[in-house]
Amino acid sequence: MIIEVLFNEVCGLNGDAQNAAYLQYAMPDAKIIYTSLLDEPYFATGRPDMILIGYMTENTQRRVIEKLMPLKERLCALIDDGVVILATGNAGEIFCKHISYVTEKLETEGLGIFDLTVKNDFFKRYNGKILSRFEGIEVVGFRTQFAHIYGDNSDCYFAEVIRGIGINPDSKLEGMRKNNLLCTHTVGPILPLNPLLCEKLIALAGGNAEAAFREEAVAAYEERLKEWNDPAIRFDM
Amino acid sequence: MKKIQFYLALWASKAASTLLVLLGRNASCFPGKVAIKLCKDFLLYVPKPKTVIAVTGTNGKTTVSNLTAGILRENGYSVTNNSLGSNIQPGVATALLQDSTVFGKAKKDIAVLECDERSSLKIFPHLKPDYLLCNNIMQDSVMRNAHTEFISYLLTSTLPEKTKVILNGDDMICSSLAPQCQDRTYFGIEAERPEALITPFHRDIVYCPKCGGKLVADYVRYYHIGRFHCESCGHTSPERAFTVTDINREQETFTVSHNGQALPYRLVSTNLVNIYNVCGMIALLSKVGLSYEQITNGLEKAEIVKSRQEILDAGDLHITMLMAKGLNPVACASCFSYVATTPGENKAAVICIDDRNNCATNSANICWFYDCDYSILADPSISQIVFGGPRCKDHYLRALMAGIPKEKMVITHDVAHAAELVDTEKSKNIFVLYDIYHPAEAAVNKKILMEKGGAL
Repeated sequence: MIIEVLFNEVCGLNGDAQNAAYLQYAMPDAKIIYTSLLDEPYFATGRPDMILIGYMTENTQRRVIEKLMPLKERLCALIDDGVVILATGNAGEIFCKHISYVTEKLETEGLGIFDLTVKNDFFKRYNGKILSRFEGIEVVGFRTQFAHIYGDNSDCYFAEVIRGIGINPDSKLEGMRKNNLLCTHTVGPILPLNPLLCEKLIALAGGNAEAAFREEAVAAYEERLKEWNDPAIRFDM
Repeated sequence: MKKIQFYLALWASKAASTLLVLLGRNASCFPGKVAIKLCKDFLLYVPKPKTVIAVTGTNGKTTVSNLTAGILRENGYSVTNNSLGSNIQPGVATALLQDSTVFGKAKKDIAVLECDERSSLKIFPHLKPDYLLCNNIMQDSVMRNAHTEFISYLLTSTLPEKTKVILNGDDMICSSLAPQCQDRTYFGIEAERPEALITPFHRDIVYCPKCGGKLVADYVRYYHIGRFHCESCGHTSPERAFTVTDINREQETFTVSHNGQALPYRLVSTNLVNIYNVCGMIALLSKVGLSYEQITNGLEKAEIVKSRQEILDAGDLHITMLMAKGLNPVACASCFSYVATTPGENKAAVICIDDRNNCATNSANICWFYDCDYSILADPSISQIVFGGPRCKDHYLRALMAGIPKEKMVITHDVAHAAELVDTEKSKNIFVLYDIYHPAEAAVNKKILMEKGGAL
């Protein structure tokens, strides 16, 4: 399996960078390509089985859009071809139509894969947790973000919210999905935190491997799941 | 009208302060809260000493602020300081109001105020500091501080252009702050320049802040602290005005070069981070107008607060209690390094650094575990690691991913009794890392180890 990690040196904040490491432990034979922001992405000419991109700063987000915009058609072709693309944190926002940076007074066109808009405000930070369901798997995750996404994602969501918020405080549908392009606002180590989701993604990418350190990862996952199903636990922090 | 509102707030908050002191309660934050509640621009109107110094940065601002205030006092200055209180808006307001007369006059010569960088928006536009010392900008709690670009944005957009800034020249994020401030002084360390490039676990600055080109490290001391240049535009780490050019650990002195003069100072701490802190403070005090003699005299009596570290012996057990800043991956990794690099074999580390907010109504965000370099704990000199606390299973998984063998680790949800699991037959050198908000649990762990050593 070939996994391309896009711009890990700047798109791996909040622990997102460790998702690729977790996949490598699960699939020691997988070839992981780390593409820097200054390099031509492997996917421009090759076909990876999976692409990962994680949380980044707002300056980097604008730069990443600039970098990927000329490759939009190629990305669309790969999405149609079923390549798994996992975008975590604010990486998913780049696939929306438009991003408005309220505090910085900047506007940027996104890649436009989803007909949704993003509103980023440095003074409206959202911290929380999310318990959601993706293809029958309960997914636990942390949210820490300056932006919310607006528009109708009812035909293109990543997961149904069980507890927490969706793409914005009024939404119960989290993230976006098109074929195997999976965008979630969850930040950090989503794969170590969700070994069953990790196995699902490996399968979607055509692999067949157990999550790394499965016993320990499942124990931590089940403990968290039990806690988060307790009504006393707050989901907005 | 504003002035009336301010005076009402001043008197009410001073009354609150007096009452709290009479009751023997902590009066270092609440009076400021009262003042700001009654007059939201209180910080703008509250009388300030003739010279206002603000100290900010991610790590070490308390150390710098306390040392600076102490040296100024040694030299006969009267100083307003918030070292006993909070470093956010109410703490700063409290320090200033307590040192003002009821008629609105400042009683002290100079203010040295530790300011939380996240709160700069609420502090600096009103405080308008004459001097600002920033010792570093690093990754901190992601929920509170997001990322370093956000903190840089806050500081840059709130500092008045007249403020004289004293910045760590070996931190390219810090040295790029507030370009509107024209009076800029950089400090740093040239001595003990690392021979080899140390690959950092994660860097908060990878690309040139000027052109976006690739930054190349001339050398890195830790994280992004070091010297860099841009391959594309030639932008470099700034030239330092105050440079540590020699560190003599045997004689406990270090040399700071400034304006072609190299002058010795007492080495208050051998820790590199603290040498940066003290060098920054020397640069600041020199800018304020203190002479070399005044600074060195003050430094002779200066001590770095040791409340964050306590070393005890109990029988044949050597116990180090180390306060760690949970949620802060850089600070925790520094504590891990301390354990790993302290001479000795068969060391045990008891790690109790879970967020205090993990409680009956919350389950803490653990993303920062994955930004923290746990591989440091894989050092062969550490024979046992005990992870104690509600998130012990998450630590365990994270540690496995960092290459720490299963057989080295034990876990317990009981944070207060984690030390019971230490194998004291094997490990005589024990380190207890505890979160700043867990002093009670740390005390219990300490007692357990003292009992195991036969000292109680």
